[in-house]
Amino acid sequence: MRLRNFLAIPLLLTAGIASAQTPARLSIWDGVYSEAQAARGHTLYMQSCARCHGAELAGTFETPPLVGRFMPYWSGSTLDALFDYVSTSMPLDRPGALGAGANADILAFLLKSNEIPAGTKELSAGNLKSIHFDSAKPRRVRK
Amino acid sequence: MDRRHLLKNSLALGGLACLGSTAKAQPQRVPLMDRPFNLAPIRAHVDRIYDIKCCIRPFRTKGPRLDVEQIGDAMVIHNYGHSGAGWSLSWGSADMQVQKAMSRSPKKIAVIGCGIIGLTSALMAQRAGAEVTIYTKDVFQRTRSVRANGSWTPASHMALASDAPSNLGDVWERMTRISWKNLRQYIGMAGNPLAFADHYYLSDTPFDEPLPPPPPSPVPVPEYYELGDRIGDITPTLQVLTPDLHPFPAKYARRTTRLFFNFSEYGHLLISDFYAAGGKMVMRDFHSPGELAHLPEKVIINCPGYAAHDWWKDTAMVPHRGQTEWLIPQPEVNYGLTYRNVEALSKSDGVMMIDIGARNGLPKGYGNSNEVPDRAEAERAVRVMEELYSRFPANPV
Repeated sequence: MRLRNFLAIPLLLTAGIASAQTPARLSIWDGVYSEAQAARGHTLYMQSCARCHGAELAGTFETPPLVGRFMPYWSGSTLDALFDYVSTSMPLDRPGALGAGANADILAFLLKSNEIPAGTKELSAGNLKSIHFDSAKPRRVRK
Repeated sequence: MDRRHLLKNSLALGGLACLGSTAKAQPQRVPLMDRPFNLAPIRAHVDRIYDIKCCIRPFRTKGPRLDVEQIGDAMVIHNYGHSGAGWSLSWGSADMQVQKAMSRSPKKIAVIGCGIIGLTSALMAQRAGAEVTIYTKDVFQRTRSVRANGSWTPASHMALASDAPSNLGDVWERMTRISWKNLRQYIGMAGNPLAFADHYYLSDTPFDEPLPPPPPSPVPVPEYYELGDRIGDITPTLQVLTPDLHPFPAKYARRTTRLFFNFSEYGHLLISDFYAAGGKMVMRDFHSPGELAHLPEKVIINCPGYAAHDWWKDTAMVPHRGQTEWLIPQPEVNYGLTYRNVEALSKSDGVMMIDIGARNGLPKGYGNSNEVPDRAEAERAVRVMEELYSRFPANPV
């Protein structure tokens, strides 16, 4: 047990050095939105999305839910795919009616609703392609 | 010929079938064998509405997309954009596209989407000898297909006249005739997955009376591709009924016979056949065409319906909203009717009613992608029928 801890310390240090040298792979689990942004997104969601997807994001028989199967359906992509879809196809009766800032806020609310933890930074339309939509929190690889 | 023209117009509206206004049909004597009798009244009351379904027809200005595209090392065969004729054209379209798929002799084929086009494509591919996996984000019962009218309306607005490919008429006729042949096998089966019913067109004014000018339209009124009179040999004619020949309290009446799908039985049959032939269903959503290249199957039939507007960025897709209201089933009613722009049809899972909109101007729902059911619209439609049946002699209210 002690031996394992002893060995782990240099490994962690090495991993830390490695991540400093090359940019770490960014995941939706890395605190990519803020609580304040999700709160704004909640307000926007209730105004523009809840009519079809419901206040609880559960969808209807015909309208897809935005929790539950939402995670496996979007996992494997990067966050720009979801942003692009929401920006160009939603709301269904007025596609593309919301601006980039509003859509980023709504995305933050969707992440929060799927129990993805918040961080300190806000999500912006600029770097979404680098944020991986992982269905579960990725385990950090030891090097 | 005039009658045929009228019927063609009615079929062309698909899901919205109603009569054209220009033809001059001559009254004809109806022999006793063709006289309707014992028509049960529809119990048209708003409290009998038990479901309202709303969907977007996959109208494509260029006509159905049937070309083949290479995505990475995958051959993608498109099969979408059948407007209000998906149910009608599905088998014929599937047959054409599966033939393209089989040109590569694939052992396995993927089908994207599980609406009526996807499901029939999958079955056709199985019948051609392939192992088929359907990738879909929703089961059949939740697709837009099952929120449609589900009637034989093969000529339902296939394309804009200005955008249609020159061979659309020939392709459409081929799809229609192959579909018709395939549908034959389901007629008369237990549960009536597919059935014929008489349909009455009723009017308080002569059918050929000129329509008032249409209200101003916010968008250009679409000019649809004219398919011509190509399937007259498999289309029943339209009979004119004098008031003594029918029980309806309307001055003018015509009758034809229409084919329709009972969603529950037909859907169950197709899905059972798919599984019985070893088919697999994978629940999955796609977000960009490039993802198809990562599927294990390298021959893919793409049947996304209206979703092509979003995930394939197909700008030729134009939404066309339609809504049906469903009243508690009345198995004793075995006909359909159209009156004051409302259509009703008795199906196994309910009496379906539709506000089909005015016969001139912008088609109702064209360009509208709002898919939220409208209760007020449903009640308006039912009340039109309620008023008609309140005057029905067999059922004084």
